[in-house]
Amino acid sequence: MLLLCAFIAFGAGGCKAKKEARAAAEARAERIAKARADLLSVINDQGSMSTDEKEEIVQGVKDMNFQDAEIQSLIERAEAIIADERAAARLGEDRTVTTETGPASESDLNNLFRNVASARNTSDANSQIRNALDMFASSETPVLIIISQSGGQTDYDEPTTINKYLNYLKDTKKSSDEVYNMVFDANGKIKELELIKR
Amino acid sequence: MKISVIYICLLFIGFASFSARAQEDISPERKLAIDSLALEKVRDLSKYISIIGNKDTPFSEANRVIDRAEELFAAGAEIGVSSLTTNEITYYQVRGYFEHLMALNYDKVSIKWYDIQYISDLEQQPDGTFVGVITIYQRFEGTSDDGLEYKDTTKKDITVFVQKKETQIGGRIIDFWDVLLGDIRVAETTT
Repeated sequence: MLLLCAFIAFGAGGCKAKKEARAAAEARAERIAKARADLLSVINDQGSMSTDEKEEIVQGVKDMNFQDAEIQSLIERAEAIIADERAAARLGEDRTVTTETGPASESDLNNLFRNVASARNTSDANSQIRNALDMFASSETPVLIIISQSGGQTDYDEPTTINKYLNYLKDTKKSSDEVYNMVFDANGKIKELELIKR
Repeated sequence: MKISVIYICLLFIGFASFSARAQEDISPERKLAIDSLALEKVRDLSKYISIIGNKDTPFSEANRVIDRAEELFAAGAEIGVSSLTTNEITYYQVRGYFEHLMALNYDKVSIKWYDIQYISDLEQQPDGTFVGVITIYQRFEGTSDDGLEYKDTTKKDITVFVQKKETQIGGRIIDFWDVLLGDIRVAETTT
């Protein structure tokens, strides 16, 4: 009987504690999602933000002191960009744009994917793929595909390479992913691509 | 005796907590995305099979597609092949099946999959892996210039495994869902 009472008492307390823990976890997930979006805006910025503004955003996220591996990694990437910009400013140079045409835009890439998927035949698709690969640091450039973003959790498909991904579009004749994030190297070539399922 | 009982209890608690950790709590939205991902891999396989079987596909392209298709399968998986002329079902290793498909003795081959759907939903196992079964119907049509023609429709069941894995890209750890196809078993063959 005593055991039963103790079980009921602990059980009720446990439920309440579980609810609180879930609410806290959800709030934390929201804060992390916001921090992630802020950091990505710094990383992907194409000149609309000053270096000081970027620094302020990154510092704001750092002050929240998240113990989260992805956030830490994004902070490092954002700080590297800020450091590059500071160094370039000191030298009076532009940070990224070294190609004649400049870095690829999201719409360039989305159009390119559609063109490969709807190519008339294999040789047409292969020709589009060859041209497309010029936009990337190498044919082995990693491509991540987000399949879901829910409750602060990001789920990915198995990572692939840009060469395999472009051939996948050719083979399946479907283009159901859109550009989510691009990381450029110093030559303005894409060195990491993140896509999201439509 | 008392010590043995304590050891057994500790082992049981340890196993239970391991299972709880391995079985991640997945929201319905995320589960739906995982279900769709696995279905998509089967649809991709249907496109690959169509390309490999098509006699107009250049040899180099067919071999490249075989490599991609093979990557969809778990090691040791087998694919069943049936025929209206015999009751026997031959099971091939994945690579062997694709090579057999590419070498079929017809001048024109058309393979189409349709009605691709789950017959057994993806269910999470104690080790965290999701396992399910997807069924497909395959319409095969092979014709030769000398007038030889063979057509059949086969219902096939594909076991699907989905496992969470991690890899490092650009200095960060990425968790991803790895979909692997298991055996493809023939359920029935009709005209």
